[in-house]
Amino acid sequence: MSLYRPLVLCSVALTFLVIVVGAYVRLEDAGLGCPDWPGCYGQLIGVPDEAHELAKAEQAFPGKTVDAGRAWKEMFHRYLAGTLGLLVLAIAAIAWRMRGETGRTPWLATLLVAVVAFQATLGMWTVTMLLKPAIVTLHLLGGMATLAVLMWLALREINPQPAPAAIARAFRPWAAAGLAVLAVQIALGGWVSANYAALACTDFPSCHGQWLPGMDFANAFHAVRELGVTAAGAPLSQEALNAIQWSHRAGALVTLAFLGALALCALRTPSLRAAGAVLLVLLVAQVGLGIANVLLRVPLALAAAHNAGAALLLAALVVLNFTVFRRANRQD
Amino acid sequence: MSSSLASQPLATRASQFYRLTKPRVVSLIVFTAVIGMFLATPGMVPLQALVAGTLGIALTAGAAAAVNCLVEQGIDAIMTRTRGRPLPRGQVTSLQTLVFAGIVGGAGLFILYQWVNALTMWLTLATFVGYAVIYTVVLKPMTPQNIVIGGASGAMPPVLGWTAVTGEIAADALLLFLIIFAWTPPHFWALALYRKHEYAKAGVPMLPVTHGDKFTRLHVLLYTVILTAVTLMPFVTRMSGVIYLAAVLLLDAVFLWYAVRIYVAYSDPLAQRTFRYSILYLTLLFAALLVDHYFRIPL
Repeated sequence: MSLYRPLVLCSVALTFLVIVVGAYVRLEDAGLGCPDWPGCYGQLIGVPDEAHELAKAEQAFPGKTVDAGRAWKEMFHRYLAGTLGLLVLAIAAIAWRMRGETGRTPWLATLLVAVVAFQATLGMWTVTMLLKPAIVTLHLLGGMATLAVLMWLALREINPQPAPAAIARAFRPWAAAGLAVLAVQIALGGWVSANYAALACTDFPSCHGQWLPGMDFANAFHAVRELGVTAAGAPLSQEALNAIQWSHRAGALVTLAFLGALALCALRTPSLRAAGAVLLVLLVAQVGLGIANVLLRVPLALAAAHNAGAALLLAALVVLNFTVFRRANRQD
Repeated sequence: MSSSLASQPLATRASQFYRLTKPRVVSLIVFTAVIGMFLATPGMVPLQALVAGTLGIALTAGAAAAVNCLVEQGIDAIMTRTRGRPLPRGQVTSLQTLVFAGIVGGAGLFILYQWVNALTMWLTLATFVGYAVIYTVVLKPMTPQNIVIGGASGAMPPVLGWTAVTGEIAADALLLFLIIFAWTPPHFWALALYRKHEYAKAGVPMLPVTHGDKFTRLHVLLYTVILTAVTLMPFVTRMSGVIYLAAVLLLDAVFLWYAVRIYVAYSDPLAQRTFRYSILYLTLLFAALLVDHYFRIPL
C-alpha cells in the first residue's frame, strides 16, 4: 500500500488545483482558447506559437485567430486534468490489485474512473458545444464529485477517529442532507457563472433595489439551451438573469442556515468539534466572498476564491460525513 | 511458369519467397511469442525451448502468411498497398506458394513437436488454421467482424511462447492473449479507415465499408477504452509491477488521445499515424512487460 496513499493524497491536491484552474480558465474567458479537443488547433504538445504552426492552425480553423495566451490557459487545465486522469487510473488499478489485503472495495475507485472519464467528455463538450450552460455547470459538478470521491478514498487511508456510535447516528441524516443542500447550491452557483449572471444586479442584498426583482424562471432554468439565449433562440432577458442571480442568493441563505446549524451542532459535540469549526469558518468566508463578488463586480481573484471556497466547503462536509458514516462501514 | 524458376537468380527467387511470409508482420508475432516465453519463467528460458520454439513459431507463422497471400491474390491485385506482392505480379505461382507453405509450415510444426512439446505444436497448428483458413477464407470476405474474431489467431503467439516453456496454458498467458485480442480492432480499423476505398473496390466487407466511417471511428474509440482496461489487468493480477503500470498508463494515454482524435477530428494522415502508433504501442507494451518481469520495484 506504500504507493497508494501518496497517490491518493496527491490526487486530492491535484483535483483541487484542477477545479480552481478550471474556474480561472472560465473567468478569463479562455474556455474556447482552443477551438478543438483534445489537442489545441490539432497540437497535443503546447499551442500554436511559431510562424509555421500559426499558419497551419489558421488554415485548419479558418476565421479563428490564435490567441496563444488564452490557448495556454486552456491547455494548462487540460494537462493537469489529463495527469489527474492517469493518477486515477493508477489508483483504481492498485485498489483492484490490493483488494484482498486491504479488504476494501475497489468499486469506489472504479466509480472515480467513470466520473473522471465523464468529466473528460464534458470537457470536450464544453468546447465543442460552445459553452452551453448545462454542460459548463455539469463540468463543474463533475469536478466537485471527483474531489468528494477522492476525499473519501483519502480519508480511508488517513483513518481519522470515528465519532461515537450514538452521536454518529444522530448526525448521519443531517450530514448527508447537508451534502445535498451544498450540491444544489454549487449547481446554482455554476449556473450563475455559466450564464454570466454574476452581475445581473450589483446591489446587495436587494436586486435592482427590490427584494423580488422581475424574474423569468422558465427561461432562466431551461436546461437545454445555448449560452445567452432562450431555448427558442431569443436573447436571454434581464429578468431571466435576475432569476438566476436571485436563486443563488436564496440558495445561499438556505445553505447558510442549514450548514450553519449543522456546524454549530458539530461544534458543541466534542468528537466533531474540529470539523464543525472548519465548516463554520469556511461557510462564513464563502458567504462573504459571494457578497464581495457582487459589490466589487467579480474581480478575478475573488471569483476564483469563491470557487475554491465551494470546493473547500465540500471537502469539509465530506470529512464530517466520513466521520459519522465510518463506523457503519466498518461493521459491514 | 516453371521456366521462370530457373531463369532468375537464386537470390531474387529467395527474396520473392521470403516476401510471401510477410516478414514485418511475422517479426511482431515472433517478438510477442518470445516475450511470452520469458514471462513464463522467473529465470532464463531453457535454450532449446527458446531456439526451437522461436524457429517453429516463426516458420509456421510465415507459412500462414504465405497461404493468406495465396488465397488473397485476387484482392491483393486490386489494392495498391498489396499490388506489389509476388503472387499478383506473377513472380511465383499458386502451386509454388502452396508447396512452399507446406514445406515451411510442416518444418515449423515438426520442430515444435520434436524439440518443444506436443501441446505447443497443436496450438500452433490451430492458430495456423485459424488464420490461414478460418480468418482468410471464411471470415474476411463474410463479415465486418472479421478482424475482431480473426484477432484471436494474432493474439495466440504469446500463449504459444508460454506453452513452449511450461507445457501448459497459464492464466497469465491468456491475459497476454486478451491484450492483443483487444488491441487488434483499433489497430486494424485505423488502417481500414484510410484504406476504405481499396477495401470497397476489392469487395472486402471491412467495417468502414459496411457500416460507415462514423460507426468505425466510434468503435476504434470504444475498443481503445476496453484495451486500456485490459492492459491494466497484468498489474491488477500481480503478474506485473509498477514499471509496467507506469509504462502502460502512458502508452494508453497516447492511444486514447489518438482514438479520441480519430473520433472527433478524423483525417487520413491521422489514421495512418494511429496505425503506426498502434504497432509501436504493442511493441513497447511487451517490452515493458519484459523489463518489469526482471526488474521489480516493490509497490
